[in-house]
Amino acid sequence: TVEPLEYYRRFLKENCRPDGRELGEFRTTTVNIGSITTADGSALVKLGNTTVICGVKAELAAPAADSANKGYIVPNVELPSLCAERFRSGPPGEEAQAASQFIADVIENSQMIVKEDLCIANGKLAWVLYCDIICLDYDGNLLDASVFALLAALKNVQLPLVTINEETGLSEVNLKQKNPLLIRKHPVATSFAVFDDTLLIVDPTAEEEDLATGTVTIVTDEEGRLCSVHKPGGSPLTGAKLQDCITRAITRHKEVKKLIDKVIKSITPK
Amino acid sequence: MKATPLSNCERRFLLRAIQEKKRLDGRQCYDYRNIRVSFGAERGCCIVELGRTRVLAQVSCELVSPKPNRPTEGVLFFNLELSPMAAPGLEPGRQSELLVSLNRLLERCLRDSKCIDTESLCVVAGEKVWQIRLDVHLLNHDGNITDAASIAGIVALCHFRRPDVSVQGEEVTVYTPEERDPVPLSIHHMPICVSFAFFHQGTYLLVDPTEREERVMDGFLVIAMNKHHEICTIQSSGVVMLVPDQILRCSKIAAVKVTEITEQIQKALENDQKARKEGGKFGFAESIPFQRITAFKMESAAVDTNDVEEQAKEIIAKADPPAEVFSKPVLLAAGTAQIGEGVENSWGDLEESEKEEAAEEEGESEAAAFECQKVETEDTMRETKNGKYCFSWYHILLYPFL
Amino acid sequence: MAAVMAVESGQSRLRPFSCELGLLSRPDGRATFLQGVTPSVLAGLYGPVEAKISKELPDRAALEVLLRPKVGLPGVLERSREQLLRQTCEAVVLGALHPRTAITLVLQVLSDASLLSCCLNAACMALLDAGLPLAALFCGVTCALQPDGSVLLDPTARQEQEARAILTFAIGSSERKVLMATTKGSCSVEEMQQCLAAAQGAADTIFQFYRDSVRRRYCKS
Repeated sequence: TVEPLEYYRRFLKENCRPDGRELGEFRTTTVNIGSITTADGSALVKLGNTTVICGVKAELAAPAADSANKGYIVPNVELPSLCAERFRSGPPGEEAQAASQFIADVIENSQMIVKEDLCIANGKLAWVLYCDIICLDYDGNLLDASVFALLAALKNVQLPLVTINEETGLSEVNLKQKNPLLIRKHPVATSFAVFDDTLLIVDPTAEEEDLATGTVTIVTDEEGRLCSVHKPGGSPLTGAKLQDCITRAITRHKEVKKLIDKVIKSITPK
Repeated sequence: MKATPLSNCERRFLLRAIQEKKRLDGRQCYDYRNIRVSFGAERGCCIVELGRTRVLAQVSCELVSPKPNRPTEGVLFFNLELSPMAAPGLEPGRQSELLVSLNRLLERCLRDSKCIDTESLCVVAGEKVWQIRLDVHLLNHDGNITDAASIAGIVALCHFRRPDVSVQGEEVTVYTPEERDPVPLSIHHMPICVSFAFFHQGTYLLVDPTEREERVMDGFLVIAMNKHHEICTIQSSGVVMLVPDQILRCSKIAAVKVTEITEQIQKALENDQKARKEGGKFGFAESIPFQRITAFKMESAAVDTNDVEEQAKEIIAKADPPAEVFSKPVLLAAGTAQIGEGVENSWGDLEESEKEEAAEEEGESEAAAFECQKVETEDTMRETKNGKYCFSWYHILLYPFL
Repeated sequence: MAAVMAVESGQSRLRPFSCELGLLSRPDGRATFLQGVTPSVLAGLYGPVEAKISKELPDRAALEVLLRPKVGLPGVLERSREQLLRQTCEAVVLGALHPRTAITLVLQVLSDASLLSCCLNAACMALLDAGLPLAALFCGVTCALQPDGSVLLDPTARQEQEARAILTFAIGSSERKVLMATTKGSCSVEEMQQCLAAAQGAADTIFQFYRDSVRRRYCKS
């Protein structure tokens, strides 16, 4: 298109988008759980064309001296050069680092996993969960897809039973007995793009993100509490507009929760 | 950002002025600029202003294991950063030649002069020692970074207090400032750098050159000295041959300057100590010159938050309640599900056909995709759909791996 | 200490703010901003100047924000804050007036407990000092939700540790709209809206502070 902004404005005036969605509609969301067999937990999420894969690797380590009863969760978002033209290979760029920090904040704020749960022996042994989130195809709304992939992958994690032999003081890993991780909260992110300082559109594509004047991401849990209101600059919004976003996010949470419940149910052995 | 070059006429003007024993800021050849030291609210933090050159120093400490060849000595770490704020042309994270030489000079001045007693930093020999880290940031570059950094470094080290520790058997306890008063570092002497700039092959000499003067100078000499007139480091650089007399003269000047500066530093340290002891006000907020028109202070202000709850309620009441209707998830296979809330995506249709054809040849499914595409292109929104089809193949290719 | 500051019911106090403009000689815009004693940030701004070809934008000025911690090198936290700050500044700077140029804003943390709101205020004052054309002003306000559910504005480091959730907003001067929002800890929707309303109230005080400090600098008498 020659005049992309004008092209979009024409569509938005009629309350629809060039790909046929309404302003408040999400793209088709697909989730596949257990996509990587070598990881302790994994999930692939597709949001339209945006594809994100998350793998969780669990390792054993000694907890930090100042928090002896806590394990670690290390999230990392990668935007490799294959997922979109503008990303370059090499050390992570600003967007990848900001996304990593956002995911870390969501984990911390929502308390989806309590770090004390990851401790095996106080001050001696704890789990480290490396959550690597890799974007395979970038078509906007990275944060929603990443948070969902992380949640689905963590739901999929099976940790072997670890006991400490009291006589030798060594740890013994029982690979036959595996337990799922306790997920206390289910945070779900919903992103919006702001068009021309006024119009809010849900689940923006990469093109829409480029043309938009700002984005908002809202993360809610199942009780309707806000885990994160992330608005990194951009167009100013009123409190009422933010409230509209939150309302939409709560609906979205219910949908995603149903989806994940169904998926988990389908793979649990009866 | 690029640095602005110095024009030829500026260069000639500066050099001629120096020949006439005149400096742009009205100083005499051997005059030092004014030094101002201000301390931050926490220990080991200070800002030193040398004329308009401004440097921030911060000391921090950490318990680490010592180097294997020196099991009873603490570790000192110095880091000088040229912040891009200081001058145009300075880039973050780049190890320029200037930065490396400045860092080395700072190390030689503060570590190699043995002014800090490293043995007193040992907690358990061979196991745990204190690492003292000094970070120096250049905030505004107006010449003579060396002197400003060395003054800021030594002042911050003198101002710093490390937490007290006790060792019982193998247990090491670190006390918080509330439990036990933190202890100062043991500093034997205070080495201070004094810089000299040479012009016209060493015929003219200036103390404490500004940035402009540094740009036109031929040679540069740094002498680090303490108040007992012991030389700690001496370094000459640039394209100038110095006669021994010159160096002797410089060291005599340096001795005078160092005595003055040390006195001033000690006075500043004492003043801050007094303010802290008597419970007076300290920190950067107190060092702002509020008599100037560029500075401004607002008294603590109250904000009325009475009607906040009403305002919040109003906004929430006005907003539409969350929609109750939402689409049902579709289970595609064990472990794979979908909610097609958005427009029926082109690849979403394919997913169905793909499942049927999963057993068939992959080439065939591609052909099927082509056919589908032909039918679909009759639709109005061609371009976007085409784009989606490309991705559906990718999805097919990926699917067997899932 | 300031932590025992008396809070009357239905009122929240901002700590005494102070600032100094034009204190560095090299940058085009410079400001230091202090909230009470501890969080203080120094900002220096260069621009608009000729941009590097790789960073040049054909239709507007390329804005770059660098946040430098006092100890060590900038990490992931600094990078994500840089993004927040940059996009907030981009929303108010009329960059279209200076196409193909670069604006660099460097923020140096001077005292610990580096609050994002303090960075925002220092950034805005540096933009003001540089005399760049702006569409609006913005200010940063931090709200802490105390365990009992009440809203506390401009918390100290200790109050922040005790708080259940911390919300930081950047409020624009036109119609007091939200330019930036970020949260730590979880809160209910009502609490979020309460914090926002309180922050909007505090914004007026901060804008008055901006105005007074600039007036003191540029007006006679």
